[in-house]
Amino acid sequence: MNPQAIQILFFKDLFLSRWALFGYLIGGLLSALVTCLPGQTFGFIGFILIVTVTIAAGIHLIGMLLLSEPIEMTRTFIMSLPVSLLDYSIAKISVVLVAFLIPWVGMLACLTVLTFIVPGAKAGVLVLIVLLFMFMMGGFSLQLVTAVITQSVGWTIVMVVLGNVLFNLFAKFVNEHPVIAEIAKGDSIAWPPVVLQILAVEAIVVIAAIAFAFVWQSRRRDLV
Amino acid sequence: MTSSYAVSTTNSTAAILLEGVSKTYKHFRLENINLRIEPGTVNGLIGPNGAGKSTTMRIMMGLVNPDSGNVSVLGQPISSHEAQVKQHIGFFSDDMRLYKSETIAWHLQLVRSFFPSWDDQYAKQLLDRFGLIAGQKVKGLSHGQRVKAMLLLILARHPKLLILDEPTNGLDPVAKQEVLSELMQIVNDESRTILYSSHNTHDVEQISDTITFIDRGRVIASNDRDEFLNQWRRFKIHADTDWQTPAIEGLYLESTFGKLRVFTLDRYSIEVESQLEASGATLETSEALTLEEIFIAAVARGRKENCE
Repeated sequence: MNPQAIQILFFKDLFLSRWALFGYLIGGLLSALVTCLPGQTFGFIGFILIVTVTIAAGIHLIGMLLLSEPIEMTRTFIMSLPVSLLDYSIAKISVVLVAFLIPWVGMLACLTVLTFIVPGAKAGVLVLIVLLFMFMMGGFSLQLVTAVITQSVGWTIVMVVLGNVLFNLFAKFVNEHPVIAEIAKGDSIAWPPVVLQILAVEAIVVIAAIAFAFVWQSRRRDLV
Repeated sequence: MTSSYAVSTTNSTAAILLEGVSKTYKHFRLENINLRIEPGTVNGLIGPNGAGKSTTMRIMMGLVNPDSGNVSVLGQPISSHEAQVKQHIGFFSDDMRLYKSETIAWHLQLVRSFFPSWDDQYAKQLLDRFGLIAGQKVKGLSHGQRVKAMLLLILARHPKLLILDEPTNGLDPVAKQEVLSELMQIVNDESRTILYSSHNTHDVEQISDTITFIDRGRVIASNDRDEFLNQWRRFKIHADTDWQTPAIEGLYLESTFGKLRVFTLDRYSIEVESQLEASGATLETSEALTLEEIFIAAVARGRKENCE
């Protein structure tokens, strides 16, 4: 393993995705501003926009950084450099993950701040937001591992569609869950066992999917 | 058939050594490739489209793992020393692309960060010589400019070994000559080893010391370029219909038109002509073959032998 090569490849990809990341951050910020407009409807629309921007960022980053390299034939160029398959795999999966974390953390932070500063907003809703954001992270991780294993735009889209359907079902479930709904309506933040259990399952999905992506990619025999 | 060819028989460490290399895909098989490329030589790898040139080169680069066999490059097994070995290889492939949204200067910077041997001065010279503009984005480059930019990125790091997969493919005659001229200058540096693939025998002939023919996943012939040209001959012979072909090793009947028979021979010596005439035939012509004709004849022979 060559840490210097991994670092160069990592920052190369981060640089290549700079405009997309900038766009998603701006999109997230504008969506957050919508939530500040008076009335519950704007709060709801703003939140939907933020979720949409986050999901779109994940799909776009996987496509741009992972799936487009073999299609645009830039992977052969990169693999002609003194880079091993392991270096390439570590750099590639890490950068996709970090690139997604930038808008994900940005928007989660933005919503957290808004929860405390927007008049009338309930602090307890933050628990709901964290559960939904962790679900989005899980969905992204599954899309990532699908893209790594299949190298296929088609299968990744299937996973995206599946993730979105499940996200809506999950949002309905947590919103209607008596314990979670009660916390979301309150002024204080609480982390009862049911919330922690859901968060643990989400974290396991994220860690397992990413670990599997690393293992699969580094065991691949032919990359080009 | 096992294809085994030693390009040179010296005992020094080979620049590239392939031993019993095979790779099977759904519709293609690279079969038991044995090849030794000596350091400081310029080697041409000629084969029709789909012959296995690119797969062979990708195996040499560690980009494709063979199903069986050993691959050693610059004295190291490529499978376990991929990154270290690639530090000394310049690889060009026709289906390799740079990042469209970025400039040549950005690519220079990226590649430079991987190579301590990077030569800024030479990179600038090549930019001028190839008529490239550092600030130009790759998406605005023509095919010829893209090939030159790629070669610039390879050459400015002074690699010990150049593996070039069809570098002149699709180039106009002027761009092709510019690329070949640059390669010829590198050829003068005797410490460099070059492996150059093409389906165009004229390009390979210009710069290569040794030539290997590959067809349908098998090495069908490998030899010194001049040896190829000296050893291959075509004979036109007039003989009666009941004339028996004498047992001459490497003599191959190409075609028959009534009493006229056309043979190719891959082990020519002046005695062969006497042997033919002594057998009762009249030798009409004995002509040397061009490399292209040798290639075509070798492919035809290889395919026939394979069918038999």
